[in-house]
Amino acid sequence: MALEFTKIKRTGLLPAFLCGGLLASMIPVLNMAVRSEAYVNLSQPPLDILLDGNWQTMAMLNLLLAVIGACLVYHTEFADNAMEKMRTLPIGEGRMFLGKTLVLACMCIVVLIIETAALATCGAIWFESGDIVWPDLMRNAGCMLLLLLPAVILSLLVASLCENMWISFGIGVLGVFIATMMPSENFALSLFPFALHFHVLGEKTAELGVGAAVEILALVAAGAVIQKIRRRF
Amino acid sequence: MNMIETHDLTKNYGDFQAVFKVNLHVPKGGVYGFVGPNGAGKSTTMKMLLGLTPPTEGTFSINGKTYPKARQEILRSTGSFIEAPAFYGNLTGEENLELIRRILKLPKSSVAEALELVGLAPFGKRLAKKYSLGMKQRLGLAGALLGRPPLLILDEPTNGLDPAGIHEVRELIRSLPKQLDCTVLVSSHLLSEIQLMADHIGILDRGKLLFEGTMEELKTYAASMGYPADNLEDTFLALVHQAEEGGRRK
Repeated sequence: MALEFTKIKRTGLLPAFLCGGLLASMIPVLNMAVRSEAYVNLSQPPLDILLDGNWQTMAMLNLLLAVIGACLVYHTEFADNAMEKMRTLPIGEGRMFLGKTLVLACMCIVVLIIETAALATCGAIWFESGDIVWPDLMRNAGCMLLLLLPAVILSLLVASLCENMWISFGIGVLGVFIATMMPSENFALSLFPFALHFHVLGEKTAELGVGAAVEILALVAAGAVIQKIRRRF
Repeated sequence: MNMIETHDLTKNYGDFQAVFKVNLHVPKGGVYGFVGPNGAGKSTTMKMLLGLTPPTEGTFSINGKTYPKARQEILRSTGSFIEAPAFYGNLTGEENLELIRRILKLPKSSVAEALELVGLAPFGKRLAKKYSLGMKQRLGLAGALLGRPPLLILDEPTNGLDPAGIHEVRELIRSLPKQLDCTVLVSSHLLSEIQLMADHIGILDRGKLLFEGTMEELKTYAASMGYPADNLEDTFLALVHQAEEGGRRK
């Protein structure tokens, strides 16, 4: 993974994720600043209110960030033919794929930390103190990470297969928009990797979490195998 | 003992035969020139030797290790430069070599050594994407030389260099077997260049190996066949012409 962190130097990946995280975290803050009266009197727990009111937009930004991140990390491999050099070195492409997955997972953690801090700030300012508790926030962030990772890995898989960054970007954006149009009540459709992250904590969280974990394992395995066999064609 | 041995190495792309039953014997400790016109199959052969593309048929061994069984070992002991410079444009020359060094688990000093060897030491901190084409070629060469591998596979390493750069790289390649105790397999379509660098030569045309041997053997062979033997270019053209004629007759 250290190698992959070196490769992203000066690619703008970290600033992109920081800015994206800040942008997404501005959504609940601005929403509460502009129309807090629509939310503060609701009977639900504050975290649920904030997530119901803002998560769809925040999730979409997170997913777009994941797509951009995946495109960027593989673009550095293809832009100046570096991938060709890597293939002549004793390093498996599957390992490289795994390294890139971990790099993007770390970036997503940074984004989710920023967003969690924003939600906590909203809770502290607009709701009574103690209404939003840190264990709930952390559990929410953990679940959101789990539900985001399948989209991250799928985006990476697509980016690894398309030397033209714009093709993988287009496919990723298409995936995100298809996910926004899917009915959330249908459990099978909810398992579409780009659709998972739109779900907030609720009754189906455990099932979705298991589904996401299975998808993560399957996509990582598929990624590693595809990287290994593509050299043969 | 031979550093590289191929046995009926063949590569087909659909109906197109890029390399056909090539049997190379690259002796240890010298420069082996791989000559042929564009599209002769030189790069494809080299890519097969590096495992970048699988052979359709045939086998090969490098330093006694057989592909694909010992692919990782072969790659660990082979420095390569294939077709065009390959690097991370967002990293400096030094950082690019540092990545390779870490993958090969080499000592830290090897990066500075390689930069020095190709004359890039003063530009090590500059972003690779800001290098001139010649500097990018040198960076590619530095990447291949990193860790002093026993085998270097260099595909047209002087492409894009100015005459002074060509001379410098040629001299460098010429000196490598003695300096680093290695074997160099270098390809070029510039016959005059190979003539100045190589001890042994392999002539490839349309995927077929037309000749393999030392320069002296080539001259003797050309003379015995009635081909012009004074310069390699004429000999080569006569060989290719003869092969074409043979192909047409078949």
